[in-house]
Amino acid sequence: MEVKINQVEKVITAQFIGRLDTPASLEVSRQVQPLIDHADLTVVLDCSQMEYISSSGLRIFLTIRKAASARGGRVIIRNMNEDIRKVFMMTGFLNLFEVEKA
Amino acid sequence: MTRTLDAHCEAILEEYRQHLPQFESVKNEVLDLLRSTLDGAGIIVASVEARVKAEGSLAGKLELKGSKYSSLADITDILGLRVITFYIDDVDKVASAVERLFEVDWDESVDKRKIHEIDSFGYMSLHYICRKKGFPYRFEIQMRTVLQHAWANLNHDTGYKSGVEVPREYLRNMSRLAGMLEMADEQFSRIRTELNDYRRRVQALVASGNLDEVLLDGDSFRNYLSLNPFAKLNKRIAAVNQAEIQEVSLMGYLPVFKGLGCKTLGDIAKLIKDNSEAAYQIACYQIGLTDLDIVSSSIGPQHLCTAFILRNGGGRGGLKYMLDILNGPSEMNEEMAAFLVEQTKDLPFMHASE
Repeated sequence: MEVKINQVEKVITAQFIGRLDTPASLEVSRQVQPLIDHADLTVVLDCSQMEYISSSGLRIFLTIRKAASARGGRVIIRNMNEDIRKVFMMTGFLNLFEVEKA
Repeated sequence: MTRTLDAHCEAILEEYRQHLPQFESVKNEVLDLLRSTLDGAGIIVASVEARVKAEGSLAGKLELKGSKYSSLADITDILGLRVITFYIDDVDKVASAVERLFEVDWDESVDKRKIHEIDSFGYMSLHYICRKKGFPYRFEIQMRTVLQHAWANLNHDTGYKSGVEVPREYLRNMSRLAGMLEMADEQFSRIRTELNDYRRRVQALVASGNLDEVLLDGDSFRNYLSLNPFAKLNKRIAAVNQAEIQEVSLMGYLPVFKGLGCKTLGDIAKLIKDNSEAAYQIACYQIGLTDLDIVSSSIGPQHLCTAFILRNGGGRGGLKYMLDILNGPSEMNEEMAAFLVEQTKDLPFMHASE
């Protein structure tokens, strides 16, 4: 899994490419640290190239959301494919995030 | 402005200059102490402000009535603080806190709320002259409501300092306004008291289990949630995958339950009782064959509402309505509603007779 992070003014975007499964999650949680550090901004989690998300991946997203809630930021999940969206719904996490299509 | 002060007043002014840093330091100490005490006592106020009288202002005061004061210690408003409360009842609570923090000079303090005759209205404020250990000068703390503060400021700005004789009509209008604001202050306090009474009644009814008597609203739903009404179902669902339950706010379900026709907490309790088995079936089908080991505490209410809608013939449209409330309106909700209908169509609860 590859994570590309890009900040433009007050919006910080992380683009997830590949499978966010349990083996990948340790490295990804380290890579998304800039999002936690900038959780007072608008954080966009771009999932347009994410193929899969596991429970470990959900936990990473929840950590980012918690940091944003604590610091007055905002988290937007953009372009989830249908399977990933179903995972969010089946676990009851869908309505915790702002979800956008491009 | 050039002022002419006699030697006595100049001496007082010099004493002021020498002690100005001390006044500034005590100002910050008293301000911090007041704020932390009110915060600790749960008294929410509009503002706590403080100032040390400017030299020019003191010089003006001395020019007018310097002979009244034998030394700087006789002037009690060099350091002045003001606590502005939202509610009139809170003025007395703040006063009580001030009495505990500082020594109050009762001979000099004045309750201007009590100086009015029965047929007069005007400036209403509680002024305490206080002493703090280790500081030789007294200081003033004014306590009043936001409405009393607004009246005092407007009256001060438009009349008292204008330097012209104030027309009788103006004074009469300000007096009428003071009376009106006094009534408004009382009404705000009464509303708060009634609201607190209502909340206590709701808490008692919820605690005693008389849920049918409790109308569904924000307060009652919040109280109900404190009893963890979905915990049993959530634990049962989580056990399917030995999942961790992530606690989240469930207040977003209030409009959903209302939309499903729940009018009392009893209606929600009945919805839980009647649909828990169906909700469990949905959860088993959705996550039973996955390795997902984390769910949110909203999973129970989400599946309960889904089951209720489907069992009552709400179909895809009903589910989209629920998802629109929870997630915000979106075309994705249409797809998710279709997904839910597809997933649940063969589950036992969809074919069970009532």
